[in-house]
Order: sequence, then structure tokens, then C-alpha cells
Amino acid sequence: MNTEPTQTQPVRITLTMPTNAYFMSGVRDFTLSIARNFGNLSNQWAYRLQSVVDELCNNAIEFGSNRNDEISVTFIYTPEKSIDIIVEDHGTGKMRTTAAELQRIVREKRAPGHSITEIRGRGLATIASEWTDELRFEDRPGGGLRITARKYINNTTVTT
Amino acid sequence: MTEANITVEDLVSGKPDQKVKLITFSGQLDESNVDEESKTIYALIDATPQGLSMIFNFKDLDYMNSKAIGYLTDWYTKLSEKKGKIVIAQAKDNILDILNVVGLTQLIPCVGTFEEAKIEIAK
Repeated sequence: MNTEPTQTQPVRITLTMPTNAYFMSGVRDFTLSIARNFGNLSNQWAYRLQSVVDELCNNAIEFGSNRNDEISVTFIYTPEKSIDIIVEDHGTGKMRTTAAELQRIVREKRAPGHSITEIRGRGLATIASEWTDELRFEDRPGGGLRITARKYINNTTVTT
Repeated sequence: MTEANITVEDLVSGKPDQKVKLITFSGQLDESNVDEESKTIYALIDATPQGLSMIFNFKDLDYMNSKAIGYLTDWYTKLSEKKGKIVIAQAKDNILDILNVVGLTQLIPCVGTFEEAKIEIAK
């Protein structure tokens, strides 16, 4: 018999998918569901995390893993504390980069004076950075990147 | 592929040198479809030498990603260069939220109703 997870144990769910944006609408729907049901987040924050997941995954799809490969997205919900979103690629994609280099690019795009009329570059630098409390870039031992975005549950005041 | 739809309608403009189009978006604009869908807008911009303005009706737009926002920014730039404007009408809260966080609401007026959009575009 399935039982509701206990309120103290973190819940971890991983989705693995082909490197193809075709599957992202399903992942976004799942993210909304997780954010609302597990994190009990407001609609505003649930949609924000949906965007964060989408942007991290799109980055992995476009640059991180090639078309014949996979990416994964893991949700870790720690009750009454945080939701972690971890997106991993295998480094087989068209633009191999290191965690340090990606961190540098994000920092550069967040610098004051950076033009808001640039066409690209908002996904990580603005959306993921603004709507999470921690954003960490790591090199995976087997190749590729792991990006961890954390949102603390008690830091989700609805803003206008 | 995620579903999205764009329809285009000509509106009557109060100014002789201004053409106004109502562009209605529905569905979700994401990585799987936005490159293709954006061609509709680019074709309109390329076909009009000067004075083209657009009201973007976002009433039925459920999602847009950063690439869609990038295109929106480019359309704004291109239309501005040709002395045109963009006004966004009836965007859902989550859409307004993402436009706000990337700073686009500082460039493009976002109004609550279609009537307000017509007034804004005529300014």
C-alpha cells in the first residue's frame, strides 16, 4: 500500500529524458505540481520555479548533451525547508564548458549596465538567479555539468 | 511539440502614417516551437518599411521562455527603429512576472485591457 511520505524526510524525484525540448512541457507541468503539492508554494512561486526548471533544462539541451544523449532533472523537497532543482548534462553537447566558465558568464550578464535588449542570455543570468536563493555550478566527474538551484520555502513571499 | 498559435488582424489606426496589427498569442512559447512561431512576426516586420505598431494580446498565452522574450526584445528594437511600437495587453500574472524580472516592462507597456492597448498604441 502506498502511503504519503512522512513530513520529515526529504523527497527526491528524478526525471531522465532525451535531449529534446519536445518533452519540456511535461516537465513544466510536473514542476508546477511538485511546487504546489509538496512545497505548498503560492501560484506565483510555483510558476517561477517552473520557469527556472525550464531554463536550466533548455541550457542543458542546447549546450550540455547531444541529441542522442540524455539530461536529467532532480527535485529534492526537504519539508518546510527547501526545494532543490538539480539539472545534469553529460558534456557531449555542442558547447563544452566548465562550471567556472559558466559561473563567469552568468556573473558577467548580471553585472550592472548589461543591456536588457540583448536577445539571449536571460535564462540563467536573470530568471534562474533572481528566482532562486542559491545557484551552484559543478563539473560532473564523468563529464558535463550539474546545476543546482535551491529555493527556501520560507523565502517565498508573494511579490507584485 | 508544445502547442502555440499566433493570429494576425489589422486594426484601424487613428494616424495616417501608422499601421497597427493585433497579434493574438495562445498556448505556450517554448524551446520546441518559438523559433518557428517567431517567423510570423518577423515576416510582418520585414514587409512593412515604416510605422508598423503591434498590440500583442497575451490573454491566452500560458507560458513563454527566455528565448521567446529574446524575440520579443528583438521585435521591439526592430519596430522602434522603424518608428513603430509594441503594447502588450491582458497578459496573465505569470507572464507579467517573467517580463518584469527580465526588465522588459520598462521598455514595453503592459496594459490590462484591449481598450487600454488601443489608447496606448495611439499615443
